[in-house]
Amino acid sequence: GAGQDVGRSCILVSIGGKNVMLDCGMHMGYNDDRRFPDFSYITQNSRLTEFLDCVIISHFHLDHCGALPYMSEMVGFDGPIYMTHPTKAICPILLEDYRKITVDKKGETNFFTSQMIKDCMKKVVAVNLHQTVQVDDELEIKAYYAGHVLGAAMFQIRVGLESVVYTGDYNMTPDRHLGAAWIDKCRPDVLISESTYATTIRDSKRCRERDFLKKVHETVERGGKVLIPVFALGRAQELCILLETFWDRMNLKAPIYFSTGLTEKANHYYKLFITWTNQKIRKTFVQRNMFEFKHIKAFDRSYADNPGPMVVFATPGMLHAGQSLHIFKKWAGNEKNMVIMPGYCVQGTVGHKILSGQKKLEMEGRQTLEVKMQVEYMSFSAHADAKGIMQLIRMAEPRSVLLVHGEAKKMEFLKQKIEQEFSINCFMPANGETATTVTNPSVPVDIALSLLKREAALGPLPDPKKPRTMHGTLIVKDNPSEEVSAAPATDRVNQGTPASLSDEELGGYLCTLLRKGLPQSTG
Amino acid sequence: MEHNVLNEDELDDWLIESIKLYDDLHVFELQETTQVIEWTGEKSVCVAGCKSVSRNEILELALPQRLYSKQNQGLCPERDFKVVHGGFSDRPISCLKHIRGTRILVSSGPPDSSLQLWQIGADGSDVIKPLHCIHNKEHTKNWSRIATSDSGSPCVLHGSKVKDIQVTDLESKKAVYSLDTDNTDSVSSLELLSKDEFLLCSGKGHLWLADMRQPGSLATPCTLLPQGEGLHWCMGLRNRLSESDAASSRVARLSSFGHVLVTDMRDASSPLCQAKLNLSCDSSDYNIMTVTWAPALDDCLAVSGFNGKVHIYNTKSWIPTFTEEEPLFIHKGHAIAEGPGDRSSAVVTTHVWHPWKPRTLLSAATNGSLHVWDWIDQKMES
Repeated sequence: GAGQDVGRSCILVSIGGKNVMLDCGMHMGYNDDRRFPDFSYITQNSRLTEFLDCVIISHFHLDHCGALPYMSEMVGFDGPIYMTHPTKAICPILLEDYRKITVDKKGETNFFTSQMIKDCMKKVVAVNLHQTVQVDDELEIKAYYAGHVLGAAMFQIRVGLESVVYTGDYNMTPDRHLGAAWIDKCRPDVLISESTYATTIRDSKRCRERDFLKKVHETVERGGKVLIPVFALGRAQELCILLETFWDRMNLKAPIYFSTGLTEKANHYYKLFITWTNQKIRKTFVQRNMFEFKHIKAFDRSYADNPGPMVVFATPGMLHAGQSLHIFKKWAGNEKNMVIMPGYCVQGTVGHKILSGQKKLEMEGRQTLEVKMQVEYMSFSAHADAKGIMQLIRMAEPRSVLLVHGEAKKMEFLKQKIEQEFSINCFMPANGETATTVTNPSVPVDIALSLLKREAALGPLPDPKKPRTMHGTLIVKDNPSEEVSAAPATDRVNQGTPASLSDEELGGYLCTLLRKGLPQSTG
Repeated sequence: MEHNVLNEDELDDWLIESIKLYDDLHVFELQETTQVIEWTGEKSVCVAGCKSVSRNEILELALPQRLYSKQNQGLCPERDFKVVHGGFSDRPISCLKHIRGTRILVSSGPPDSSLQLWQIGADGSDVIKPLHCIHNKEHTKNWSRIATSDSGSPCVLHGSKVKDIQVTDLESKKAVYSLDTDNTDSVSSLELLSKDEFLLCSGKGHLWLADMRQPGSLATPCTLLPQGEGLHWCMGLRNRLSESDAASSRVARLSSFGHVLVTDMRDASSPLCQAKLNLSCDSSDYNIMTVTWAPALDDCLAVSGFNGKVHIYNTKSWIPTFTEEEPLFIHKGHAIAEGPGDRSSAVVTTHVWHPWKPRTLLSAATNGSLHVWDWIDQKMES
């Protein structure tokens, strides 16, 4: 997935003999098996364990982790699954929510169960930023801060001298609660980056915030109520900080509420993951409780019936159950009111229906709900844009770039731009397509000094231009090493040496390598 | 550290203020400053880099959905521009025009007066490809002004000095008309009124209405002007009504001192009205002075290029004698930068009106900013 396709990120990388799966997302647009990546590319019938060395999940959005329990428990994978600590904490919550909606609300049957989610999470190994994690004695990974959402990371995967960096979703502009992505000049052979927004020029954060404030302001001014369904974290935080900052300046008197369940969960997570937020939040947090706002108070169910304007943040985010749905039902019939949806809603949820413009909803017990309240969608999601991608490439200095998540014909300009600006190759494979990049890893050759001396004593050093018969080759691969003669050696050694070399030519080639490795002075 | 904190507070202040000033406001940051914003369709504009050293990009941007959606904007999440086509130019682009009804662009820029032709999205790809060059009969070191026809004829009117103005057929690449004159004044603005007539405004402010059916030397210019040293002029043409009404066009001429003269071409001997605008000039680049008429708002014009602001005036109340006039609205956004950098030095390089949304404009500035704003007419509100 994710090759020229939006939603359903899942990339397979083969590097130095290791196979790594990057993300395991679900496609938001489909209701059947097409929502999951097609694992038959890896194997038709058996479990994935023997084919994959590890799985890495970049962040908790469903288009990056939504298929994880399906992959690990229904297709089958028992190896390690790596992700950051916040992702590990938040993933299961979103997966369970998603499962509930799909199974309970839509009645689907071929789906992962709650137990599967739990079993899947048992295979997760949490990692810290900038910490090199040895997956085995050859494969290592390292996570870098990606911004975007709490816990999002970019991952470097290294085997020997070859490495790949996978960006997941990232953002190069800091906002009110998260910092900007950062990576060192690690010079990976390939940088795999999403390009959905690479051809976008993003409206500034401030203007989006302005839009949000304007809508809230207008609704409250006319005496209406504003409902903002949120998840426990991230966006809710930001919007609260925003309202708190501007309430005074805008001289607004209406109360702002935050449902308590939300407060507890959010506080809990922020305490755990304080290092993941930006400087400002960290300072604020140290001084006081995350949710000790001057103007924002804890919500009580009964307040929903209070007259007059108010703003309420309530879970869950897609209006599919719980408090936010309860409040929505009460307020939907009044056109003075407004509901602001701050994120994507899965098909089947009330959130999704009203965002599609539906005005009449069928509720439980065959009751119809007429939606007269204003429905607004507010996208605060932070993705890297055209400028951001160039910035990241400048930071990491990859030898080549691979773009996922976009349409090839529509990325030709970006490809040219990257190639011209950085003089590197840029690939854009489609789903199922393989992109191959040739790397030039140097092969260190050690030679014992005594052997060198002996060879030097035999006469003049070998001349690469003069043919010399090669008598044998020592191949060191796996354990044990073996000695083979020239012809089979040329077949087996596949490191840039053309197979059609004669024995003499191969001998000459090896001599050149040895010559380069010889010390300047021989004693 | 302190400076940054202050900056944020000021930005926040402007944000709050803007809630009352604008119905809608979008702020974008281009990678390169643009001096051009050219409509290539109802939902797309082209911008282009103007750096003299290294490669410049030409981008065709699709408008955020909100800006062209006529129904309920609330359900449109899209606030971003999308780069739908892009290309590379070796020279900076000072002037860019679209040939209506085609996917062809014509551009000009230093170091000479030649024109470059481009094809947007050939073969279904997203690349803007260079086609070929067109040269004036006289090759000069100044970049040419370009005018294209509203009717989509494949001819362009161009020139950098009055004496080298010509009309070139893009298909044959041959000149089909040229002005017979020795006048070496610089060309400041050109407008094709119909297939036979065009308006020319020189840097000195002289205005000519030329009829291509009557070849011959250029007549004396239409109007006299206030004299002044170092003055530079440009013009803005009000919406062309129809071919037959070409001569009844209304033209605004703007000087680098902030004078505006409005002339009705039916009686060009004296101005219809004129005004002195209180514009502080922070720029020494006369090329970016811009005056435009609102396509969907009677008698309103916009002025920019003097500083980091765009000023909007209602000329309905203006009188023939020279008086000071106040703006109806001032867009200050460009002067308030989004990030670190000397915000006071940003100068607006160009602006255009939305074709049918009455109070929506797009403007760009020297700090790479590109704004789309829909201002509220305070007088109407109260």
